[in-house]
Amino acid sequence: MDGLSFEIGKGEIFGLLGPNGAGKTTTLLMAMGVLKPDAGSITLEGIGSPDLAQVRARIGHAPQTLALYGDLTGEENMMFFGKLQGLSGKRLKERTDWCLEFVGLAERRRDRVKRYSGGMQRRLNLAVSMVHDPQLMLLDEPTAGVDPQSRNAIYENVVSLKNRGRSILYTTHYMEEAQRLCDRVGIMDSGRLLALNTVPHLVSLHGGKSVVTAVWPDREDRIETDDPVREFNRFKSDPSLIGLRVDKPTLEQVFLNLTGRRLRD
Amino acid sequence: MKSILAICRKDLRLLVRDKAGFFFTFFFPLLIAIFFGTIFSGEGHSPRSIAVCLVDEDKSDGSERFAGQLEKAVEFRVLRTGRGEARELVRTGKRTAFLILLPGFGNAQKRAFWGEPPEVELGVDPARRAESGMIEGVLMKYASERFQDAFSDPARVHEDVGNNLKEIRTSKTIPRSDKIRFERFLGALDRFALTAPSRTAGEPVQPDSLKSRFQPIAVRRVDVGVVRIGPKNAFEFTFPQGIVWGLLGCTAGFGISLITERRRGTLLRLRSAPMERWQILAGKASACFCATLAMSFVLLFVAIVVFRVRPHSYSLLVLSLLSSGFAFTGIMMLMAVLGKTEQSGAGIGWAVNLVFAMIGGGMIPLFVMPPWMAQVSHLSPVKWAILGIEGAIWRGFSFHEMIVPCAILIGIGIVFFAAGAKLFKWEN
Repeated sequence: MDGLSFEIGKGEIFGLLGPNGAGKTTTLLMAMGVLKPDAGSITLEGIGSPDLAQVRARIGHAPQTLALYGDLTGEENMMFFGKLQGLSGKRLKERTDWCLEFVGLAERRRDRVKRYSGGMQRRLNLAVSMVHDPQLMLLDEPTAGVDPQSRNAIYENVVSLKNRGRSILYTTHYMEEAQRLCDRVGIMDSGRLLALNTVPHLVSLHGGKSVVTAVWPDREDRIETDDPVREFNRFKSDPSLIGLRVDKPTLEQVFLNLTGRRLRD
Repeated sequence: MKSILAICRKDLRLLVRDKAGFFFTFFFPLLIAIFFGTIFSGEGHSPRSIAVCLVDEDKSDGSERFAGQLEKAVEFRVLRTGRGEARELVRTGKRTAFLILLPGFGNAQKRAFWGEPPEVELGVDPARRAESGMIEGVLMKYASERFQDAFSDPARVHEDVGNNLKEIRTSKTIPRSDKIRFERFLGALDRFALTAPSRTAGEPVQPDSLKSRFQPIAVRRVDVGVVRIGPKNAFEFTFPQGIVWGLLGCTAGFGISLITERRRGTLLRLRSAPMERWQILAGKASACFCATLAMSFVLLFVAIVVFRVRPHSYSLLVLSLLSSGFAFTGIMMLMAVLGKTEQSGAGIGWAVNLVFAMIGGGMIPLFVMPPWMAQVSHLSPVKWAILGIEGAIWRGFSFHEMIVPCAILIGIGIVFFAAGAKLFKWEN
């Protein structure tokens, strides 16, 4: 990591966007207290470093790999990790029930996890991370390798958590996810934070101009412009036009402009 | 403490649900103990009797009577066969020897002091001289008994003397001078039998009184309980070996499970919980220790209830099992650092385990090891585990004698666990 510094507000979804190897997971491991930074510090809510057990108790972590026990049921996984977080008795039961209901796995709670689909395992992975009702959630590519239906379910879960006041650090290399979910996005590459802002600001600052593409039977014109509406209106009166498209800049374009390469290179 | 117990319970639950792991932890050691115990126990009969084939080629009343004596003899396990089959069974090592009562055996038995004696053909491998000598001695014993029985009854002596004299008188091969000597001797014997005095003055003459006159030596047997220095049955040394195989299975299984946790990311999740690293390892070690104890007690229960293994000291047995479980829990921790993947960990771990078992008495019982191998076995924790368990079962260890293997095992556990915990790679 190289000079990484950012803050996450209460009830905010903060995205870390970058290709594989950018340092997203390493950042999460440091935020979780598993790795220690060479220099600098990480502080949660002014109560201290995640090196301390009582601070880690306020953090929930959904690792990129499916960190679950396949030979235990979904409920047993929840109960086990809940106990490690210090829950017991009625509180543990309530939280287990709530989390399983939250991710839509209540009916499959007594099935062994190895019989779950990939999407269900992903959702359980998320549920386990919030069994102790943490203030900060560290979600490391929580939709990796899941079907669109489960992905949408996870998106809804994440938004719901935000609405409940939870702070979320969300890593992804899918720009669509970052654009859809994140209040602010930090773009990372090679251990450095290249840019940090809301998605519209990132796009306007680093995405370049919009492109208006007009298509005639014998030719195609591409015009870069700061005012795509004006250009659009100019072309649309031409009766020989057979196609007209406006491409606004995206995070993909932002990343390309910042690093000189595409996000998934 | 709650976290440690939670990890321990979780690992034991996973062990029970993993069919292959459960089999190799509990049933495989049991099968080893029973299988080798049965083999070393032989066919279920006393190993102190000699297996022989018996062929009666005379087929007379006398030969049949003698064959019956041999069949009842405790020294022999007799199988009645024909000559060809008897030879084949001895040649292939299925029987130690064959005995053939040759034609004329019955007639020869009736004669006393003259003519050829009853003849028995003994077939035995020349290398088995000790058994051959034993068989000849046993044959002489029962032949002598017949002779004694024949003289136990004066009326029977009188009848036999009459029959012998009749044959001698009509014999054309015995010279006249010898016939006269036999007439005198047998006549005197007949008279002696009828008027034999008691051995002790004043005692009446008993019908059996002549028997002792023809007894070359009187042996008085006194039973003296010998202090046993070996196992009373084969299961007393195969079950300790089985337990050690179970310990090795637990060691490998839990060691590999740590590697699996690291690879699958559950270890990372455990580390993100509000607990220290040592608590994670303590939870895993507790599960391994509990599994070793459960496996040991299951095997011992079967050994005691089904195979009549009778431990010399139950308290020392518990002490040795606790020490062994502790040692192998420590070894488990070191196993977890041997491989980066489950495959390499399992390969290296079992290779180490096999060496421990080979030199430590897991394959060859300690008490049959040659001296040099017994010296080498000191390097293996398997040896100390087996020695401790055997010490409590059949070696008759005192508490002081038990301290040595137990202390060594506890030392091994501490050193191996500390080294493993130090070298363990937490990151994938």
